[in-house]
Amino acid sequence: MKNLKYLISLIIGHLTVFKHIFKKPVTLEYPEKKIELNDKFRGEHAFDVEKCTACGTCQRVCPSFGTIEIEKEKDENGKFYPKNYSIDLNKCIFCGNCVQYCPFGAIKMTQNYELADEKKSTLKLEINTLKRNYFDNIIDK
Amino acid sequence: MDYLYFLYLELLHKWNLPDYIAMVTFPIIPFCFVAAALIVVVIFLVLAERKILAFFTQRKGPNRVGPWGLFQTIADAIKLLCKENITPEGTDKFLFTLAPLLAFIPVLVVWGIIPFCNEFDIISFSINSLLFVVIAAIPILGILLAGYASNNKYSLIGSVRSVAQAISYELPLIFVLLSIVVLASSMNLKQIVLAQSSIYPFCGYFVFPAFLGFVVFFACGIAELNRCPFDLPEAESELVSGYNTEYSGMKFAFFFLAEYAMMFIMCAFIATLFLGGFLSPLGFYVGEKLIPNEFLANLSVYFEQAFWVFVKTFFLIFCMIWVRATLPRLKSHQLTAFAWKVLLPLSLLNLLIVCLIKAVL
Repeated sequence: MKNLKYLISLIIGHLTVFKHIFKKPVTLEYPEKKIELNDKFRGEHAFDVEKCTACGTCQRVCPSFGTIEIEKEKDENGKFYPKNYSIDLNKCIFCGNCVQYCPFGAIKMTQNYELADEKKSTLKLEINTLKRNYFDNIIDK
Repeated sequence: MDYLYFLYLELLHKWNLPDYIAMVTFPIIPFCFVAAALIVVVIFLVLAERKILAFFTQRKGPNRVGPWGLFQTIADAIKLLCKENITPEGTDKFLFTLAPLLAFIPVLVVWGIIPFCNEFDIISFSINSLLFVVIAAIPILGILLAGYASNNKYSLIGSVRSVAQAISYELPLIFVLLSIVVLASSMNLKQIVLAQSSIYPFCGYFVFPAFLGFVVFFACGIAELNRCPFDLPEAESELVSGYNTEYSGMKFAFFFLAEYAMMFIMCAFIATLFLGGFLSPLGFYVGEKLIPNEFLANLSVYFEQAFWVFVKTFFLIFCMIWVRATLPRLKSHQLTAFAWKVLLPLSLLNLLIVCLIKAVL
C-alpha cells in the first residue's frame, strides 16, 4: 500500500516536470536583454542642485557613516547652497533614506544599476556627475 | 549484407581490383560508418541532453556558441583535445592509461551489434544479444581500474560503488532479456526484431506482453549507465566527480564519450528489444510506396529503417533525461535494496507472465 503511494507520487512528479517544457524559460541573456525594473528601483543617485539648501538631513539619516559629504556655502541672498556634494558608492547601501527624508526632494534615484568600475575613485560620485544623472535620467523622462 | 557485398564487388570489378581486396575491406566499411556515426551522435546527444534538461527546468541551456548553441559540444571537445594530459603522482601509470580505453573500446564493439536495418547488423550471429550483455559489462572493469589506479579515495569509492551497482542490476536485466528470448524464440537481435512484426502496425511489439519487463529493463539500463537517480558512482556532492576525478584532457574525453555512447546504445538496445527496432510503426515504408524506381525504393527502405531506430532511441533518451530531471539521487542502501527486493522479483514475475502468454498463444 505504501509502495503504491510512492508509485502514484512518482508518476505525478514526472508529469509536473513535463509541464515545464511548455513554459517560457526564465533565463535572461543579460548583456543583450535586460530585466524590467520597478519604478521604485533604487539605483544610482541623481541630484538637483537648485532645490538643495544644504540642510544636511540626508547626511544625518544615512545609515552608512561618511557616505554623503556636503560642503555648504552662503550665496549673495543669504541662502545656503551646496558648493560640493558627493555620494560615495563604495559605502552606500542603496537604502533610499536620503531620498525619502529630503524636505525639498532634491535627491532622486535612477534605474541605472550597472555600476561596476575598475577604480574605486570613480565610484565616488561628485556633484557634476550627480547633476548630469539628474538631467539625463529624471528630467528627460 | 550479401546484397550490399555483391554491389561492392561489382563496384571493385569496374575499377579492375581483385576479389580479395573486397573480402578484406568490406567488413571495415560498416565499422567506419559506425565509428563516425558514434562521434556525431555523441556530440549532439550531449547538446540534446543539456538542452532538454534546460527545458525541463525552465532554462535556455547552451545558447552562446553558434546558432541556438549548436556548436557548444564541438567547442567543448576542442577544449578537451587541447588540454594537457595530467598523470598525478602516485598513480599506477599503466592502469591509469588502460582504464579509459577499457571503458571506450567495448562501446565501439557493442555499437556493431545493434541492427540498424534489415541488412546492416555487422556483428550478426545466433546469440549476439547475449554478447551485448557480456561486452556492455566490460566498461565497469575500466571504471574499477580508473578508481584503483587514480590513488584518490573519492575515485576508489566511486568505482567500488559502480561495481556494486553493476552486480545488483545485471541480474534483473538478464532475466528480462530471457523473457524477450522466450517471446521471440531466438537470441539473434535481428530475429528478435523480425519476430515483432505483425499485420497491424506496432501491435506485435514486445512492449505489450512484457510491459513490466520494459519498465524493469529501463530502470536497470539507467543504473547500468550510472545516470540519475542511480548516479552514486559519480555523485558530485559527495565524490567530486567519482571515478574520473583525476582524469583530464583526452583520457577524460574517452570516459565522457564512452558514457554518452553507451547511453545511446542502451536506448537503441531497449528500442530493439521492446519497441520493434527498425520496424516502421506506420506498418509500411513511405519510400516503398512513393518512389517509382524499384532499386531506389529498396535502398530508401534501409534508410527509413535506420531512421525509425533513431526515432525510437531518441524517444527513450528523452525519457531518460526526463527521469534525470525529476528524481533525486537514491541512497546507497536504497539502491541495492531496490534492485534485489523490487526489480528482481518483478523481472521474475515478468518472465512468468511472458511464459504464460507464450503457452496460451
